[in-house]
This record gives sequence, structure tokens and C-alpha cells, in this order.
Amino acid sequence: MNSAAASASAAGFRPPTRPILPLPPPNSSNPNPPRIQFKPNHHSISTRSIQISHPKHVTPPQPPYLSTTLTVPEKLDILVTEFKSLPEPIDRVKRLIHYAGLLPEFDESGRVESNRVTGCTAQVWLEVAMDVEGSMRFRVDSDSEITKGFCYCLIWLLDGASPGDVVEIRVDDLGEMNVGILPIRASSRVNTWHNVLLSMQRRTRDLIMEIYGDHSSLSLLH
Amino acid sequence: MMAMEGVVLKLPSFSQLVNPNYFSNRTPLKFRFNFPKFSSTASLSVPEAAPVSLGHSTRPDFEILHQKVNNGSKLVYLDNAATSQKPSAVIDAVNNYYKSYNSNVHRGIHFLSARATDEYEMARRKVAAFVNASESSEIVFTRNATEAINLVAYSWGFSNLKAGDEIVVTIAEHHSAIVPWQILSEKTGAVLKFVSLTEDEVPDTKMLQDLLSKKTKLVVVHHVSNVLASVLPIKDIAKWAHDVGARILVDACQSVPHMVVDVQNLGVDFLVASSHKMCGPTGVGFLYGKSELLAAMPPFLGGGEMISDVFLDHSTYADPPSRFEAGTPAIGEAIGLGSAIDYLSQIGMQKIHDYEVELANYLYENLHTIPGVRIYGPAPSQNVHRAALCSFNVEGLHPTDIATFLDQQHGVAIRSGHHCAQPLHRYLGINASARASLYFYNTKEDVDDFIRALVDTIAFFTSFK
Repeated sequence: MNSAAASASAAGFRPPTRPILPLPPPNSSNPNPPRIQFKPNHHSISTRSIQISHPKHVTPPQPPYLSTTLTVPEKLDILVTEFKSLPEPIDRVKRLIHYAGLLPEFDESGRVESNRVTGCTAQVWLEVAMDVEGSMRFRVDSDSEITKGFCYCLIWLLDGASPGDVVEIRVDDLGEMNVGILPIRASSRVNTWHNVLLSMQRRTRDLIMEIYGDHSSLSLLH
Repeated sequence: MMAMEGVVLKLPSFSQLVNPNYFSNRTPLKFRFNFPKFSSTASLSVPEAAPVSLGHSTRPDFEILHQKVNNGSKLVYLDNAATSQKPSAVIDAVNNYYKSYNSNVHRGIHFLSARATDEYEMARRKVAAFVNASESSEIVFTRNATEAINLVAYSWGFSNLKAGDEIVVTIAEHHSAIVPWQILSEKTGAVLKFVSLTEDEVPDTKMLQDLLSKKTKLVVVHHVSNVLASVLPIKDIAKWAHDVGARILVDACQSVPHMVVDVQNLGVDFLVASSHKMCGPTGVGFLYGKSELLAAMPPFLGGGEMISDVFLDHSTYADPPSRFEAGTPAIGEAIGLGSAIDYLSQIGMQKIHDYEVELANYLYENLHTIPGVRIYGPAPSQNVHRAALCSFNVEGLHPTDIATFLDQQHGVAIRSGHHCAQPLHRYLGINASARASLYFYNTKEDVDDFIRALVDTIAFFTSFK
């Protein structure tokens, strides 16, 4: 289950190339890891501190792409293909649980009410931030393994993506990931990952609004 | 087409009522039990030596239970507290209504309309007899129990409650028995008082008594809890409420389908239940209200049927129950409910209850022995009868994960979430729970399948840790 390649060159996780703070090694005993700040002051970029605790495991869904950086639509294709290749719903469940184990660490301090994704049967906490390059960064945690698995896929898809990409992806595009023969199309509390995705998008927009003052700049941020 | 006999007898014997739909055309199944197993007119010879459980004898009436789901597992339906399945007789009754005599009720002169009206009002009489109301006009058809509670809140509540009045409810109530009163109290200034649980995880009746005072105007309680499986002493609570001059509304959604409920014996002022939890169709439920109470209540929804005369500047209203039944009702569905009552009565509610007590104990005992399982509500004993349902959690696993795996791998249908009882879950310190709930057409084998599947599910998730 442990991936050997905690390398940023693996497709997916793009840690900032110029981190403000040094990233602690994976087994850091630092009791006070720097935290993701949610209200970046765009007048002094240097004060924006992002803690991206270096992912424990960076294993994208098969097949691994070692050197290229994939676009969000390309990653989406990979994800959809992967889940389509698992015709038995039980195999999707198993795959999701496998992914749940790969989810990066989520700091206890992030389990606060303001981070909760509402409207889900499982509890989900979502941290949203923007890194120094203007890419969106996400961290998610949940008390449900299957939900964690879905969230891993969302993180793999969108962590490090541009705000425009995050906001443009549609819930329908991810329909293949639905566990079950009859995908539940309607948005309900059961479709936790719908809610997580919508929350990621909403909070991305809010962050852009805060930084840039309006949403039109979203289209410029690709 | 055989005309339905109009004789409605009080509980327990409905044997005079013959439902013609038993003989209508249906897809033949392998087994056909048209009558309870002891009937001498049964067309199959049932060996006397082997008594068949109620679950086995009734299963053939429920076509929906005989199917495979997901990965080819046979369906094991254990979500009856959410909704029940319908026997062929009920489905046929609704079909037959639409095929043969669908027509708007009450004021039509023609043949179809007269027949529809007869059957619709017959259904009302059946409901009245089923709960032993003193007259059928004490039964108001609504869309479901939730609407029935809202009816009381808006109609009785607004005209009887004022600032400072108190409404006593338990924290274990279903949201439908809490939210309407919250809305009402916001608007009138009435205050909600909540009864919490004892150590045995049943509502604290001592605390309830202590909360009652001259200020109490209404007590709202469930009869059987959809999460805790506990049963409240309604007769006693009604007496205590009346002693302080308060009214009592009972949410009987989990009791009416499963046991004998006698509103006169219990002494309740209002009682609500849903058709879909008692083998009837969705879209219909009912409110029982004492005549004198209903007579004094203003309308809830305005429109046709509930009026007497309509002028431009005012209207006069009909007597109950019509006063509270605006618009075209769910006619076919109400008739379906009547048919469900026939079906249940032919089996006998006491018999259903006794069988379910057996199932409840079997479920609890087996679930209890699985390591890491925590069941909510009281433990069953001589004095404490649980309903045939268990809400539970497994240490280290999320109930939604459990329910998903049970469904996908084993075809077992249970529910996970807060079961419309968030305050209760918060009180118990949990976010969600899984719930398996049975009905008289479940068998011990269903419970065995569930337990086996649950053990496998736990093993599966544990292997990932």
C-alpha cells in the first residue's frame, strides 16, 4: 500500500516550486507544523505561508505517468477510464478503500466547523488554499473510508490545478466514479463527493473573490 | 366484478371482508397462499407437522422480495422502518381502482364517481376501525404523517398556543415531530421543552412528568422509537398530560404497522401514522383527532372540498374531516391503504406483534454477539420489549461504509445516517448510525444472512487497516 515514489514528478501532486516554508520530511516530529492560511494578503506575497505536508504516498491511479504534468481534463479521462474498467461495483468499493489509505495527512487543526462540508451523511473536512503560484491546493479528510477514497480522487484531480480548472469541472464528468450499478444522479446527502466537489468549487470562487475582487479573473487564471 | 362487502367490524376479526382482488389476474408465482395458513380452504396442502413462520407464509405475497440485486446476491430487505413493501393485494387494489372506477370523489353523481366515493369512504372507516376511533369522521386523510403533524401545528397550534405556553417533546423524536413545533414556537412565543434519555437509553418518563406543569399545553411523543426501538407507555403519558390540562399528540408511525393500537384505550387526543410504513402506498397517511378537537380547529389548507359556501369576500367551512382535506385526495392510494388494513387484519395485529417480538430478540441477540458492535436503545428483557429494529455502530467503521458494502457485496439493504433524528444522535454522541429494521415478512434466515454479511463486512474493512 505504501508508495515508494513520494516524488513530485509523479503526475498529480504539484507542490509549490518555491515554497515559502521548508517542507518537513515525511516523518517530521515537528509538533507545530505551519498551517495553511486562508486569507492570503496579496499585497505581501511573502507572508503567505502554505504548509503542504508532503504527501505520504503519491500514487496516481494506473497507469503512472512519470514525467509529464497532466491537465485536469487528461486526468479526468484517466480517472474515468480507470473506474469504467471496474465493472463490478464491489471492485470500485475496494479501489476506493485502497485510495482512502493513500490520502495525505490532514492536520487535526483542520477539523473545524468552518471546514466541514455540509449535507453529507459522512463527516468531511476540506481545507482550501492558494499557493504562491496561484494554484489551488486542497486537503480533505473524512470519517468514512469510501468517502476518503472519493476525496483522494478529487484531490488527485484538482490539487495544484488552476482556479479556472477547478471551477469548470462538472459533477457529471465524474459520474463514472459512482459506486453502484444505478448511479444516483440526483444530488443528495448520499452523494458526498458531489458535495465535496461543489464545496471545493464554491470556496475556490470565494478565495478568488477575496483576492482579486471579482470572478471574471477566473477565466484568466488557466 | 364482485362488489366489496360494506361490513366493517371492529378488531380483531375482519374475516367477513372478502377482498375481490385476491382473485384478479396476476403473474403466477411458484407458491400461492391466498389465505392464512390455518384456513381450511387453502388450495395447497400444508403439512401439519411443520409450522411455517409468519415470515415464510407471507413472503410469497411480496413479489418485490424475490429478486437479485447488484452482484447477483438475493435481496435481503431490512429497511422497513423507512418504508414497507406492499402485498399483491394492495398493488392490485390500486391498479383496480385506476382500471375500473377511477373518478373524482364526493360530489359526482355518476356511477364511477359514486363507486370511487364509496370505496374512499370505506377506506376511511377501515382506518377508523383499525385504530378504534369512535367514528370515521375522526380520521383525516393527509399526504403522510409529517403533513398530519403540520396540520395540527398550524391549525390547532396557532389557535391554542400563545407566548409562554410549553410544548413537551423528547429528544428522540423524528424531525417531523420537532420542526413544526419549532416553527410554531418561533411564531407564537411558545417554548419547547425536551425530555432526554435514561441510562438505559429510553426517554426519561420521570423527567417528562417533572416537565409537565400548568404551562404545558401539548405533549408530543413517539409510540415506538425508530432508532432506539423503545416503546413508550402512552396510556400513562396521556393521563399525565391530561392531569395538567395538556393535549397529547402521538407519532405512531412505528407502532400502528406493528401492533394493536387503540386510540380510545390509550386516551390520546391526536395520533398520526403513514400508510407506506404499513404495507400501504406512499402518498397517504392519516391524522386521528378527537371529534371535539377537530370541530374547533380552523382549516389548514384552503380550497375545494373543505368549504361549505364560497363568496367573494369570505367562505364558510365544512365539518371535519372534510374541513382538513382540501383538493382532490389521493383516492387510489387511500383505497390501497384500506386494502393494506384488510391484509394486516386478516393476519391479525397481535399475531404480527408476537412474531416481531421473536424476530426482535433474535436480531438483537445475534447482533449483540459481534465484537465491536454497539446497539442503541434498551436491552430486551421480560419487561422491555424492543421493536424489531436495531440502530448500531461498529467501532472504527463508518455506518455508510458498512451499508454500502452490505448492499454491494451481499444484497442486504439497511439504512445509514441519522434516520431523521439528529438531536438524538447528537445526544448519543454520534454523527450517524446504521439501522436494520424488520417487518412480519422477514424471517430468521434474513437475520442470519444479515449477520453473516455484517461479519464479512467488518472483516473486509479491518483488512485494510
